[in-house]
Amino acid sequence: MRWSEDQVLALAVDQASVRAARTQATAGKWPESGSTPDVVWGLCQGSGATPYQVCVELAEPAFRCSCPSRKFPCKHALGLLLRWSAGELADTVPPDWVEVWLAERAARAARAVKRAESVGTDDETRAEQAARRRAQRTDRVTAGAAELGEWLADQLRHGLARLETDGGQQLHAMAARMVDAQAPGLAAALRRTASLIGSGRDWPSQVLAELALIQLLVTATARLDELPGPLADTVRARLGFTVDTNDVLATGRRVTDRWLVLGRVDHVDEHLTSRRTWLRGKESGRVAVVRGFAPTGRPLDDSLPPGTTLTACLAHYPDGVRAVVAERVDHPRPAIGAPPGDSIDTALAGYATALAADPWCAHWPMLLTQVVPVRQRTGWVLADPAGQALPLDPDADPLALLAVAAGRPLTVAAEWSAAGLRPLSCWDDDRPVQL
Amino acid sequence: MTAWDELVRSAMLGTERQPLDETMLPEPVRAALPADAGLLAAAALLTGYRRAGVVALRGIANTDPPAPADPRPLVPALASARLGRMLLGDQAGLLPEWLAVVADRGLRVPPERLPALAEAARTRPALRPAVLAAAGPRGSWLADRSEDWALLLEPQDDQPEPDADSWRRGGVSRRRIWLTNLRGTDPAAARDLLAESWPTEPPANRQALLAALRTGLGPADEEFLEAALDDPDESVGRAAALLLARLPGSRLGQRMADRLAGLVTVTRRRLEVRLPAEYDAGLRRDGVQFDAPAGVGQRAWWLRQIVGTTPLSFWANLGTEPAELVRLKVTGQADAGTLHAGLAQAVAMWPERDWANALLATATIELTDQQLVVLINSLPADDRVRALAGPLIHGRLDKLADVLRELAKPWPAELGRVLLDQLDARAGQRGLVRIADVVARSVPPACFHHPITARLAAPGTSPWHQRVVETLLFRRAMYEELA
Repeated sequence: MRWSEDQVLALAVDQASVRAARTQATAGKWPESGSTPDVVWGLCQGSGATPYQVCVELAEPAFRCSCPSRKFPCKHALGLLLRWSAGELADTVPPDWVEVWLAERAARAARAVKRAESVGTDDETRAEQAARRRAQRTDRVTAGAAELGEWLADQLRHGLARLETDGGQQLHAMAARMVDAQAPGLAAALRRTASLIGSGRDWPSQVLAELALIQLLVTATARLDELPGPLADTVRARLGFTVDTNDVLATGRRVTDRWLVLGRVDHVDEHLTSRRTWLRGKESGRVAVVRGFAPTGRPLDDSLPPGTTLTACLAHYPDGVRAVVAERVDHPRPAIGAPPGDSIDTALAGYATALAADPWCAHWPMLLTQVVPVRQRTGWVLADPAGQALPLDPDADPLALLAVAAGRPLTVAAEWSAAGLRPLSCWDDDRPVQL
Repeated sequence: MTAWDELVRSAMLGTERQPLDETMLPEPVRAALPADAGLLAAAALLTGYRRAGVVALRGIANTDPPAPADPRPLVPALASARLGRMLLGDQAGLLPEWLAVVADRGLRVPPERLPALAEAARTRPALRPAVLAAAGPRGSWLADRSEDWALLLEPQDDQPEPDADSWRRGGVSRRRIWLTNLRGTDPAAARDLLAESWPTEPPANRQALLAALRTGLGPADEEFLEAALDDPDESVGRAAALLLARLPGSRLGQRMADRLAGLVTVTRRRLEVRLPAEYDAGLRRDGVQFDAPAGVGQRAWWLRQIVGTTPLSFWANLGTEPAELVRLKVTGQADAGTLHAGLAQAVAMWPERDWANALLATATIELTDQQLVVLINSLPADDRVRALAGPLIHGRLDKLADVLRELAKPWPAELGRVLLDQLDARAGQRGLVRIADVVARSVPPACFHHPITARLAAPGTSPWHQRVVETLLFRRAMYEELA
């Protein structure tokens, strides 16, 4: 079906092309030309010695001209089409050069289609590969954990006293194997245990507790598929499977609240410094921990100063405690006025609940109301008006808290662990104090 | 033994030797334990049981009375933040001043900063009084309850104060300290004790202990010291002579005046000087050194020492004012330098205003740093400014650092302004670090808006200049925050 003149000229890129097309549409310029139902072709005599080869594949349309013009379609192609539109082109077999061009086009098109199809299959492969890697890692971890379980049982048969002779060397060796098995959480736990050997009078008690919890993790790993979802997530986190922060921001459970920054604890390693900042929601009473990391010597993120409150939306990791700040509604402001805290019993119950969800939970924040530092024979304790008390961690420096309290009861935020309380912040009457 | 202790024992010995006895586990743990679970599983359960089941200590009574209330208001938050930065090292040298202003304005340091302050005072004993004042009644309360706190406030040198026993059995420096302390309360008793042990003391001891008599020196000491002039050891005799020279109205002073009378003639326009003809026994007895230092003529050296130990009343009796005297042309066997050096020594021993001003105003008189400090500090505030602002500054600004450091504070504002003008004018000069440092830390608050603080650092400005500006701005902010 031949096109109308208007349809042809509609292809022109500008008015100049239209004018030029008309001048090219005279028969005298075309020593050869012809058409088939699919393609229109011709040789156009331009200013040079050789005429330009011009052809148009009507389906798309696709233009080809050997002239140097950068316009697409050029004036020769338009002129040819105008002639065809006017019925001046005879129906003939195209010459070789047209066939060659058509064949090349077809080949290019086929290749493009093939590429498009193969991209689709590459996507699938990538997802498959990721799944395969996850499965591989799970297998390695499971195998590593099983090996660790055997090794632990062996140690217990022969007695832990042996560990003291090589200064924890064996534990470090097992830690290296756990790194190979892609279970950095198990490795870190073993190294922590090694550092306890021989330190202090009751190191056997501490080491047994740590090894017992490692064994518990081993057992949990073996039965990972049977565990309920949240517990399985906790186990994976303890093993060292990381969760991408972007995933947490995208899909993690969100809680918006007025959050009180209770305090933070830094752990300085040779290479890495890690920080845990404890938050407590004023409305929800929920506890959250935000983790930060930096190479040792570089500054850590300081956007959550202790003793301040801010309204924010936190996105939680699968374990339910660790979170990231998804959205800040306002800036941190000093928390003037002591917040309502807990009694010692309530605080201890809070830790017990946390332990029930995560048996490996070693630290938990407490916000204690009306407690005063009291000197005992064994060290300092924080005592409430009823005479109940919790011990301070002997390794934590109590001097600043002592100086602020000066014998008067006050509200104290502290981190609880098996070693005792580590003061994080307190309220000097209404004034928040970072310790 | 608790179940846990049993478990630990088994674990340490090994289950081959000491298998797990499940019956001693608490009922809830035993019930939850799977069959053939092993010791570690039991330990895991028991650990969870113990951690979750922590029970608070009971019956803890706080019978301790709280620290006495401190009615002073807290320093403002900005000032507290600045203190935090200073304790971490930022302009830590200004800590004494910050604490002084806080005490002056009746403010209180935030209690949580006290441990860090005490730590700073432990290594810098000069801070200790200021920190104790800042701690207030809380400080002693804390020291009574915490060894760490008490330790932080304890003096570095834990030698106890010398007591009566030290005199009989201590080393010579402890004995000297003890004797000096006694001279403060009972000079006669101290002298008597010294006189008693004198015959048996070795020369080095005698010279050291004699120095104690400088405290509470009085006419009653003259007999003892005159006798000491004849000590076989030359340095002991000289030490006694110097003490006698210091004693107003002493016979040694009179002897020196008599000698000088024979060597010096003052006319209206000239001062004619003769050098001592010989070094006789009298000169030696009265502590004049025989050997002159390098570059000084021997007899000139003797004259210098005579002038240096002659009471200033000698010159007054000659009828000349100090200001005139230093301007008189010196002729004869000695030059002005010798005479003026001797005068400087005398005036440094008995600073009198007219003499001090006269010496300081004469650019040609070379005063040692120590003499400069003594003279300047002896003057009233206005005179001090004039003395330093005079020809001294232009010549030896870089050498004034040590002098200025010893200068009594607060400095007159005029002095601060003049010195800052001088430093500002030499912004590109090198070698002024030390004096710049002293000036920046010592000028009074009235100087905090001196034009130098508005000066932007231009290329070629020395780093010390920038530090002066920084220090002044820091101090200015300090005072503003503590208002």
